[in-house]
Amino acid sequence: MKKINVMKKGYILIIFLLGVIISLSIGKAIMQNTLSTSGIYVGEVQEQINEYETQNTILSEQLLTASSLTNIMEKAEASGFTRENTLMVLNASRPLAIKP
Amino acid sequence: MKWRYPFVFVFLVLLFVLVASRLFYWQIVKADMLSEMAQSQYGGLVKIEPKRGEIETSDGFPIAANKVSYLLYLNPTLIKDKDQTVLILSSLLDMTKASVSAEILPDRLWVKIKSGISASDKAEIEKLNLPGVGFEEHYTRFYPEASIAAQLLGFVGKNEEGQDSGSGGLEGFYDRLLRGKEGYSMEYSDALGRPILSNSTEVTSGSDGSNLILGVDRSIQFLAEQKLKDGIEKYGATGGTIGIMDPQTGNILAMASSPTFSPQTYFDFDQSTYTNPFITDTYEPGSTFKPIVMASAIDAGLITPQTKCNICGGPVSVSGYELHTWNDQYYKDTNMIQVIQHSDNTGMVFVAQKLGVDRMISYLTKFGIGQMTGIDLQGEISPSLKPRNAWYDVDLATTGFGQGVSITPIELLTAFSSLANNGVMMQPRVVTAYENADGTRVEIPTKVIGNTVSEKTAKVMVEILVNAVEKGEAQWTKLPGYRIAGKTGTASIPVKGHYDQTGTIASFIGFAPADNPKFVMLVILDKPTTSIYAADTAAPVFFDIAKNLLNYYGIPPSE
Repeated sequence: MKKINVMKKGYILIIFLLGVIISLSIGKAIMQNTLSTSGIYVGEVQEQINEYETQNTILSEQLLTASSLTNIMEKAEASGFTRENTLMVLNASRPLAIKP
Repeated sequence: MKWRYPFVFVFLVLLFVLVASRLFYWQIVKADMLSEMAQSQYGGLVKIEPKRGEIETSDGFPIAANKVSYLLYLNPTLIKDKDQTVLILSSLLDMTKASVSAEILPDRLWVKIKSGISASDKAEIEKLNLPGVGFEEHYTRFYPEASIAAQLLGFVGKNEEGQDSGSGGLEGFYDRLLRGKEGYSMEYSDALGRPILSNSTEVTSGSDGSNLILGVDRSIQFLAEQKLKDGIEKYGATGGTIGIMDPQTGNILAMASSPTFSPQTYFDFDQSTYTNPFITDTYEPGSTFKPIVMASAIDAGLITPQTKCNICGGPVSVSGYELHTWNDQYYKDTNMIQVIQHSDNTGMVFVAQKLGVDRMISYLTKFGIGQMTGIDLQGEISPSLKPRNAWYDVDLATTGFGQGVSITPIELLTAFSSLANNGVMMQPRVVTAYENADGTRVEIPTKVIGNTVSEKTAKVMVEILVNAVEKGEAQWTKLPGYRIAGKTGTASIPVKGHYDQTGTIASFIGFAPADNPKFVMLVILDKPTTSIYAADTAAPVFFDIAKNLLNYYGIPPSE
């Protein structure tokens, strides 16, 4: 009786292991099938990333050009601003009003 | 009949051996070749170009960045109307029809037409849907501030292999760090050329270049460039250079030179403009050298500020040469403070003779004269000091007032900075840190080159130099209310063993505020024509910049 029980347990274990192997194999096949076509999507995503990177670089180029001091000075001069040449150093306190 | 069985058996064995040897040949001997052939059918090695690192000023603004540009290529086999394609491309790309047409050879699949095409031009060409026209994307160097700090930055050209290569300035000095490392990856495709996802596509990992963070302040650099340009125009000089340094750290805050070039279109400029005169040009410093010699003699205990000059009553004769003052005015029994104030050549002959040749060489070496400063810029030079046995009495005397000795502006700025920093000489540096592609930041520590004079001597020299500004020739242009230490220098230009009679090099070196200097600045104007004297030309440029800098740093007048 004992011997029959041990044999039964052995069969169950073998069937269980076979089941695991078959399910893992099926899982792997499904995964591989999915992955084999994912390359197309990955390629598309990569293309999009590259496109965004290019756009970012172009935008930062425009931003840097616009915010450069050289450009700001040119724009300021074109807008009629002049350079401040009247910087004063006050050595003593000044009266509120100077008599004429 | 019996022979048939062995015959068939031998035949089959031979056949088996033949098949086995053929299999051995293909699978063992030619395995690598077949593997490569197969790999080339379903995959290819792709080079990953690293992005060149950016160069940022101390305010975080990328003064050298990257921009996208395109290379236009043609596939001649796909072109339907050659004449029309040539006509359109030549007009859009600003090329001659002949040069475009010459590239279109029918037996080629890929011909380069033009590189460096902007994104907007590319979009315009793409709208035309010309068959056989394609674009390759590249990153090229971009300098948002145009020619600002051009000689400091250098430029990116091409090396023998046609790859980007930094040349001059920072681009040259830090080329390996900026360039990054190329990577390679294997990309697999299916029969239709669509990419197949693979978990081990990367063959060799590369990395983008590191970003450099400078001590250069963009506002100060811009100010120096503008004031130098104005000064050259106003005083009719042929060129000039300005260097501004923080004496406590050795950080270069600005370095400007004129004439200059645009790093973006360097090929359109004369090659002589590529070099940075502040580190590559040598000149005789003249009177700006006097504080170095004076500090040496005071430090050696040979003189004090009150020491009287007993040879200053008239021209001094040394080895048959008669040495005069710059204006032929002589002050009998003048003291050392007045020697610097009047920029008295005979007084400096007195100091140099007190010092002697050996101590002169020893102190000049301490001040780094005749040695490279080690600044992190490509192209620094430094003429060596004369060997001991080549020093004659007259050499000692003229060295006292800065003639007969040749130095670079960076040598003088570094040496002079030590007087502003209690006698401690810092190594000048442009880059303060760098940032790797993975975001890690590496700080570059400041470096002390050595001690030139004692702290006490340095403080004495500060007072002597403040007096020179307050009462010297350039007092008309000084800033009221501020204690500024400085010295003018009007140097003759040696040409083929004689001095040029047509012009001088006018310079002014100084620091402010004298008691806690935020900057040391050297202004040099080449051959000014409105006046040959530094007090009338370089000094006002110095004080104009100093006024703006003190205002920029928010430093109020102290007096």
